Amino acid sequence: MNKSSPGGGPQAALGKLSMAGAVVAVAVGAALVLGLALLLKALGAHPFTLKASTSSSTGGQTVAHLTISAYPDSMAGEHGKSGGAHPDWVSYGPTTNLWVPAHALVKMTIKNYDSATALNSPFFGNVQGTVGGVAYYNGKPLKRINPNDVAHTFTIHMFPTAGQPPLDVSVPLLGVADNAPNAPGSQYPKPTVVTFEFHTGASGRYIWQCFDPCGGTSYYAGFGGPMQNLGYMAGTVTVGGGAVA
Amino acid sequence: MTAQTSVGRPAHHDPNETKPDNPLKRSIVSGIAVGVPLAIIAYFVTSGLVHTTNADPATIRNDSLVIAYLGWGLGFLFGVGAFNRPIQWALSRNEPTHQDELELAGHRGGAWRYFRFTTDHKVVGIQYLVMGMVLFAAGGVAAMLIRLEVIQPGAKMFPIQTYNTIIGMHGLIMIVATIIMITGPFTNFVVPIMIGARDMAFPRLNALSFWLLFTAVPIFLSAPFFGGFQTGWTAYAPLSDQTALGMDAYSLTILFFVASTAVAAVNVVTTVATMRAPGMSWTRLPILTWGSVASSALGLVVMPSFLASQYLLMLDRTIGTGFYKGDRGGSQWLYEHLFWFMGHPEVYVIVLPAFAVVLELLPVFTRKPLFGYRTAVGGIVGVSSLSMIVWAHHMFVTGWSPTASGPFMLTTELISIPTGLVFLASVGTLWRGKAWMTVPMLYLISFLWNFVIGGVTGIYLADVPTDVQLHGSLFVTAHFHYTLMGGGMMAFLAGVYYWYPKMSGRMYDDRLGRIQFWTMQIGFNVTYMAMFYVGLQGEPRRVGDYAAKFAVGNFISSIGAFVIGASMILLWYNLIASKRRGAIAPANPWNAKTLEWQVPTPVPLENFEEIPIVTAGPYEYGTPAEPAHIAGEGVPST
Repeated sequence: MNKSSPGGGPQAALGKLSMAGAVVAVAVGAALVLGLALLLKALGAHPFTLKASTSSSTGGQTVAHLTISAYPDSMAGEHGKSGGAHPDWVSYGPTTNLWVPAHALVKMTIKNYDSATALNSPFFGNVQGTVGGVAYYNGKPLKRINPNDVAHTFTIHMFPTAGQPPLDVSVPLLGVADNAPNAPGSQYPKPTVVTFEFHTGASGRYIWQCFDPCGGTSYYAGFGGPMQNLGYMAGTVTVGGGAVA
Repeated sequence: MTAQTSVGRPAHHDPNETKPDNPLKRSIVSGIAVGVPLAIIAYFVTSGLVHTTNADPATIRNDSLVIAYLGWGLGFLFGVGAFNRPIQWALSRNEPTHQDELELAGHRGGAWRYFRFTTDHKVVGIQYLVMGMVLFAAGGVAAMLIRLEVIQPGAKMFPIQTYNTIIGMHGLIMIVATIIMITGPFTNFVVPIMIGARDMAFPRLNALSFWLLFTAVPIFLSAPFFGGFQTGWTAYAPLSDQTALGMDAYSLTILFFVASTAVAAVNVVTTVATMRAPGMSWTRLPILTWGSVASSALGLVVMPSFLASQYLLMLDRTIGTGFYKGDRGGSQWLYEHLFWFMGHPEVYVIVLPAFAVVLELLPVFTRKPLFGYRTAVGGIVGVSSLSMIVWAHHMFVTGWSPTASGPFMLTTELISIPTGLVFLASVGTLWRGKAWMTVPMLYLISFLWNFVIGGVTGIYLADVPTDVQLHGSLFVTAHFHYTLMGGGMMAFLAGVYYWYPKMSGRMYDDRLGRIQFWTMQIGFNVTYMAMFYVGLQGEPRRVGDYAAKFAVGNFISSIGAFVIGASMILLWYNLIASKRRGAIAPANPWNAKTLEWQVPTPVPLENFEEIPIVTAGPYEYGTPAEPAHIAGEGVPST
């Protein structure tokens, strides 16, 4: 092994460039990449995170209140009145990123303006993970609803990252009648309202998603399109800590 | 020094009295000046037309964007002058004179010829080199962003859909960059000279191939502004049927890119088949030529399948066909077959020229003839042929056809035999050679090290039982980076350092080159060894968040990646600064015997004043009986 030309010809040699120039080039390159990352972070931030309002109960436990809605299209949520890229996709609103406090009792209300699509799996017709195992449908406590009457589900389903406490909540939403007229002054019919409560543990970050095949018949078994995209039928739940986009 | 042959004096041209072209004509400027307005007009006209059909707003936007992209592409190509000659021919205008052809080839064009529709193969080669480096930089920045996101668990940097788009853009940019990285710059610049030709067989098509690729780049980079695409580079349907408008940018990019590769491949194969100098028999062809032909021919067969996959996807997305939609009788498996019929052979479209670079350079730096020339050629042709019947190993876990898994496992493993022949030739050439440890030579050795790791880990993915376990994990990601980057890109970097003196006329800085080599090797192996580890532990690929147990491996992998990033900046710095301040390169700094080193640096416009007559093989180093060579009795310059 040698570094010199065995052919006896000219060396591959070799201009001498400044090492300081090389170091500066690397530093500038690193700064540009970091700057781009921060720019993308700023530009790509989710429109906003809905933060639960909090109060304290008599026992001193934090109580949080959160209200969201489910719509038959994308024109009332975070995608704006035009509906964004997919105005005809079903969506939750006003946003799908939610924040609730840690070690709290969360009182959640979901208004549903969409009609029913029968569940593929009746399992998701059950109310799970809530206080008492019930949810209140237009004020009536139920542990499950007919799988054929489900419009959407609100299911915190992702296995928590190791170190996070489990948070398993699933509540089906009752669909409005197929032929229900729009409410006066509204583009949607009168909603069904479901309320329920659940407890949060320590801080963590979770994914929630609808498990009703509401993604439209042109998509894979109803589980495509809005079902596969955050901001429509899926989002995040951040427990405690800062609100995360 | 004994060259493969020797050549006559450099070609010179009579400085012509006619005025040079206006440099803005047939240039990037005129291309943009036509392309951008046409895209805008196309968008609004289409929008108006589709609006009359009462389509929903999303469909209107989708259709309009696709037509706008097509408008940009055609407009840019018209503006850059790609269609000038066909139009003149159609209008029965006079044939261009030799002077016209020289002007088109960049004669008197100065540095501006690199920004024009220029037919000289050396200009096209350098255009491809710069384009490849820019694409590597763009894909590399995306890689840095990815590793920044996953340096810790918790998806803290970007929203998940932004992360998904970055993943997809990194994937496709790097695939395109690696496909063109050797056949673009080196085949274009070097092969015509290597075989004793004055240019490629179809110089206009050669320029067209580059500008078709150039046309695709802004389209692809526009994807994030239209919602990106959350599919990764595989763009599996039906997810790609549903994702945002950015998916159209992906599909249109592939349409232009495949057209570019087809045009280039026809050109390479025709050039080598028909324009070899007298005496340049098939068994005297430098091995880079074999690799370029095999890669081009393979690309010609398989790349249209990629085009078809995206064309059908575009039809699904725009006019509502159902090629990939189950509820309309379509099948996502159709997409997967079309995609992987290209997708796996494409690995060999990338790797065959890399093999060839390694085999081309090893004799130079060991001062030995290539061991087993015909065996090596057989290996290259064998890999090229077998690669077309292995694609379904990517679909073992899809449930497509369990019965077919066995045969596809067999064909996939068979390909290790011709690959082994290439390695045999490489190691045989190294055996007892007098290794000259230049920077290119260091990269050749790193190729052998890395590609063996990529190849051995590939066996586990070719075997059905282990693939079922490893599919979709970061083990797969580490494996293909070891083959495409550890193998392919290291060969590319060997080629960059080797041919840089001929292409630029300057020597690179050796000390900086060695630092760049070692940082690249250490960074690369740290990055992907750690990735193998977390992959074996079960971490899925393409996911921006992960469980805490993978944290250490990902941290190490990210640090390695940042070292690679720094190394690539050193390469850029070395190449740019050496072009300005490096030592003037002699015509043949490596004492190599192939023809490109026998012509002056910079290479004259028509390469040779007289076509050489070849009387010896390209690797006759240290043989006792040096073959005779004949100078300057070939075809005189036109």
